[in-house]
Amino acid sequence: MIEAQSLTRRYGDFLAVDQISFAVSEGEIVGILGPNGAGKTTTIRMITGFLPPTSGRVTVAGQDIVENSLVARRDLGYLPESVALYTEMRVAEYLTYRARLFGLTGGEAKQRIGEALERCLLTGVQDQIIGTLSKGYRQRVGLATAILHRPKVLVLDEPTIGLDPKQIVAIRDLIRGLAKESTLLLSTHILPEVELLCDRVVIIDRGKIVAEGTPGDLQERWVGNPVVRVELDAPRSEAASRFGSLEGVIEVRLDGARPERLEIECQPGRDLRADIFRSAVDGSLTLVELAEAKASLEDVFVRLTTIEETRSEPEVVAEPDEEEVAS
Amino acid sequence: MTGVWATLVRELRAYFFSPLAYVVLTLLMLINGFVFTLIVSFLNDPRASGAAAPMQLFFGQTLFFWLVLLFVAPVLTMRLLSEERRSGTIEVLMTAPVTETQIVVGKYLAALLFYVFLWLPTLVYAAVIAYYGELDWGPVASGYLGVFGIGTLFLSIGTFASTLSRNQLVAAIATFTLLMPLFVFGLLESLFNNETLKTVFGYLNLWQHMDEFAKGIVDTRRLVYYVSASIFFLFLAARSLEAKKWR
Repeated sequence: MIEAQSLTRRYGDFLAVDQISFAVSEGEIVGILGPNGAGKTTTIRMITGFLPPTSGRVTVAGQDIVENSLVARRDLGYLPESVALYTEMRVAEYLTYRARLFGLTGGEAKQRIGEALERCLLTGVQDQIIGTLSKGYRQRVGLATAILHRPKVLVLDEPTIGLDPKQIVAIRDLIRGLAKESTLLLSTHILPEVELLCDRVVIIDRGKIVAEGTPGDLQERWVGNPVVRVELDAPRSEAASRFGSLEGVIEVRLDGARPERLEIECQPGRDLRADIFRSAVDGSLTLVELAEAKASLEDVFVRLTTIEETRSEPEVVAEPDEEEVAS
Repeated sequence: MTGVWATLVRELRAYFFSPLAYVVLTLLMLINGFVFTLIVSFLNDPRASGAAAPMQLFFGQTLFFWLVLLFVAPVLTMRLLSEERRSGTIEVLMTAPVTETQIVVGKYLAALLFYVFLWLPTLVYAAVIAYYGELDWGPVASGYLGVFGIGTLFLSIGTFASTLSRNQLVAAIATFTLLMPLFVFGLLESLFNNETLKTVFGYLNLWQHMDEFAKGIVDTRRLVYYVSASIFFLFLAARSLEAKKWR
């Protein structure tokens, strides 16, 4: 449904997005993940047609977003990071205006607006002035705007930024519901969100894709060898050598501060927990914990995006036209 | 067309919901009321030459008329596009299926309609004259046509200037800066002895235009000038909006 081919965007001399290619197929939820300033918003803006790419192309539902823009935009729902709304309007009024922009009028518009209000849990505030609403409600108004015309593709830029935990849970539920009808692309820098919501993740850093795959895939691919964590009832000096001699064990690491804890790195694809247990019993060691250490996506993310910590580039997530010129 | 209509309706609503519009309306009514009283008391003086009709003087023959127009146009248009860019609403607007031209035209028409609304109360003056004396409605109608024509031109320039900056104040000053020479150019007519130059500047003399309109002379060349210049500035506005993406 979305296809991005070698998207590149420069702001003057600064290369914000460099040759990004990926595709989102129908019904999928794909997350774009990256630290602040990685180029997420720029990428999203190019996909929605707000920013023309310096080079490369994007198709949304089969239509080129630059060449066939008006047609492509009909199939696109977009929630920008800023969630800017006309603050002097009432919620229902604003949605009526948006419906009109999409050529929806009369009974059809009314029905769609009612539907959007209901789905985004806004029925209670439809007559309120947008400027008086809290951030969480505004976010929902933004979402209602995005889904109003039943787009095939939904693009959400940081949909949960600036919300309190309760609101975040509500918005996530809403997003999961939306995914049943639309193909979804969302950007975020919050990791649990990706693990909770997305089928697939594209991690970008400094304008480039550094990894791509399902959350599970990424963990497996980037975390390295399986590790078993063992805790004994008391520090035992012979434990390390005993476990180290087991077949399939690469290394045994001791926790310096708490010597009763051990981390056992195993060969790829091997689960040695049973062997470790038997070996412990044979050596009359008492285990109080025996577990597979699962690295989180967070570890993957940190590992991928902090290879070189020295960043000299300025962070560019802001508007394409920074300067204030009235020439 | 749906894009133009949707934008037009929204912008008109925004005008009527903003306090600024009412401030402008009040000011305009105060100034116009003052000017009208002045004109009437002037003409009531037995020593005044009886040739001029009050509504004729009212349209464009006082400096107040022009001062008001030169301020009203920037104030009405400054918000149009600069506010969309400042607040970021431009992003959801430009990702909806509407073109830059539709947005510019919709917003411009809303400003024009509100401008017409601002002038409606002045009909009372015509009614007052008609009640107490005789009024030739022809020149009054052509006078309003002139006011409308100059409005189309000034507001199109304001709409264009509003695309240049995300700061409303900058947009307003830019509009004023563009309008000033346009207005002053025409007045330069009297400085020239050369026939050709006199004709050229005479063609641009807005004061002269309004004088003719107020007398009941409708010269289509004037109307062509307003409309073609407006279309030109709206075209610039749409292109300028489009160009913002590429920077």
